[in-house]
Amino acid sequence: MTELIQLLLGEFHAKMLLVLLSATQWTIYLSLTAFIGGGLIGLIFTVLKISPIGWLRRLATAYIWLFQSIPLLMLLFLTGLGIPAFFKIDVPAWLAATVSLTLFTSAYMSEVWRGALESVPKGQWEGGRALGLGFNWILYSIVAPQALRISTPPTVGFMVQVIKGTSMAYIIDYNDLMRWGKKIANSQLDGAEPYIVYPVVALIYFGLCFPLSQWSKSLEKTMSPK
Amino acid sequence: MFDFRFYEIWRESDFIDRLINGVWISVELSTAGGVFGLIMGLALAAAQSSVSPSVLRYASISYIEGIRNTPFIVQLFFVTFGLPLIFNYRWPFEASALLAIVLNFSAYFAEVLRAGIESVHRGQIEAAQSLCLTRRQTFFDIVLPQAFANVWPSLTSQFVFLFLTTGLISEIGVEDLTWSGRYIADRNFRDFEVFIVLTLLYVLIVFGYKAIFSLVQRYAFRWRVAR
Amino acid sequence: MTEDTNTGSAVVVEGMSKFFGDFQALYDIDLTVDYGERVVICGPSGSGKSTLIRCLNQLESHQQGTVVVNGTELSENTKNIEDVRRNIGMVFQSFNLFPHLSVLDNCALAQRRMLKKPKAAARETAMKYLEQVKIPEQRDKFPGQLSGGQQQRVAIARALCLEPQIMLFDEPTSALDPEMVNEVLDTMIGLAETGMTMICVTHEMGFARQVADRIIFMDSGRIVEMNEPEIFFTNPQHERTKTFLGQIL
Repeated sequence: MTELIQLLLGEFHAKMLLVLLSATQWTIYLSLTAFIGGGLIGLIFTVLKISPIGWLRRLATAYIWLFQSIPLLMLLFLTGLGIPAFFKIDVPAWLAATVSLTLFTSAYMSEVWRGALESVPKGQWEGGRALGLGFNWILYSIVAPQALRISTPPTVGFMVQVIKGTSMAYIIDYNDLMRWGKKIANSQLDGAEPYIVYPVVALIYFGLCFPLSQWSKSLEKTMSPK
Repeated sequence: MFDFRFYEIWRESDFIDRLINGVWISVELSTAGGVFGLIMGLALAAAQSSVSPSVLRYASISYIEGIRNTPFIVQLFFVTFGLPLIFNYRWPFEASALLAIVLNFSAYFAEVLRAGIESVHRGQIEAAQSLCLTRRQTFFDIVLPQAFANVWPSLTSQFVFLFLTTGLISEIGVEDLTWSGRYIADRNFRDFEVFIVLTLLYVLIVFGYKAIFSLVQRYAFRWRVAR
Repeated sequence: MTEDTNTGSAVVVEGMSKFFGDFQALYDIDLTVDYGERVVICGPSGSGKSTLIRCLNQLESHQQGTVVVNGTELSENTKNIEDVRRNIGMVFQSFNLFPHLSVLDNCALAQRRMLKKPKAAARETAMKYLEQVKIPEQRDKFPGQLSGGQQQRVAIARALCLEPQIMLFDEPTSALDPEMVNEVLDTMIGLAETGMTMICVTHEMGFARQVADRIIFMDSGRIVEMNEPEIFFTNPQHERTKTFLGQIL
């Protein structure tokens, strides 16, 4: 494989591509962690948001609003630079990046899922209550399965946002694809001009994101009612 | 236990000036980006209509997918550091930032507007045809106003989402709000307080934008509520 | 109403067939409508009656035969389709008023765009026809603020504003609540009294009996029967017509 790339691109560009590809794994790890972590936290706040208890709902509303309003960039600065400076502690870049992206993801995911839950007709809840079922049971057995159908395409679609979001983490020195792209583009080496490096970086991101976008689109087609 | 020192931010008048200037630059560039992005997005969406030649349609789709599936920061760096080398001509970083913002916003707006155009009922177009309106008149007088009204809420949240990413232009040295914050934090070492204030300012700007969008909703699309 | 430049008939359809893909919607239609004539087309749903009148102003295009409207033959690449359409007004089942324009602007838009009339003149004409459909006081409202019956009357006024020679009605009362049907039918009867050439797809047989010169019954994409109302209702020639009339009367 390596030989083939060398043969096609020449030694220098082959090396560059391999460095970028190996940096891409950190982009993938961060995306996955943020997506799974954010999904779990988002799930909790989704349930809180529709719970029958008033103050829990308000808590969830505040949470979702807060982390949708804070720019991801500010989250990164706050966790990666602000907290270490303020509490005089050392926060590794990967931790700050993970926390930021997880919070960011959780807020948007619960917004998507709440929308999906609310789009399930009220009659479904009433029907469940008429059968004598409690809140948890109606949610779990009647409403959630229908909402899942509606929310799958936007959930997959949001993974694209998460991956693109991880590219900001280089700003607090997280060693991902973007950071290595920038390093190489700044290296002043012949053949590593910005107009070569950035399109290659873009292409790698595209390779990660485009299949997910298409998947989301095809899910939307197959899952839409009728 | 917590030793907040927000006063370190307004200690020097230079800091305050930077913040005010930062807010202004951020609002200016994102507003201009929003307006031009909307115009370009409209062109991209229109290029996808079934009557336009297929070359144009595929070009538009490829552009939109290309932008939407790559991070803004990569686009920004390419426009700022790559393009000038290709054209062998340097332009100010603000221009690069605006160009990148417009290129980026337009693809997202195009997607929203396309959905809006598709949401206009077929009967509206038939009515326009039977009244002898031309294609162009039908699009601008009948389809577009309804398309905008139908997707205005999505357009609002899309714009806000995109606005929140514009802080990245500080990376190429444009003195926007994020840049001002980093400038101050580099000098007073109160990163936490600075970024809290910065976040608040971003939230305030978002409030402002949302208020403007809902004003437009109330007046331009009052026919929708009036039923 | 008739223009002397035209060779007699408002609409001449000969041997027209219409396909949607593999599905044939209309079979070998022959139909002539003279100026000033009122024709009602009825038939079960899916019989092709709407498709037929939509072919008359090229909202649908036909594949075989000829359609001549106002002396102009229609084809897929008719360059002067706008000239044909400006002489044909169309009223739709679902009104299709422009929801973002006031009643007055709904009526004025085409005059200003198509006829390049100045605003004041366009509004003056609009008011004339809004008065004809007895709804001038609603001119500043948006369609969404009107009842279905009022909307359909505005739609009729809007079509009249281009001063067409032929009016097509595509089930104008089917989407209305029962209590609003009459106000629209009364408007149409009033229009008939002015001598307008009218082709109406409708199931309102009372209206047909009162206004129509001829009634056409369609089934499965074919014209099954065509007769004066008196004969059509009292002595239908075809079994299918009898069945249909039995179902709706």
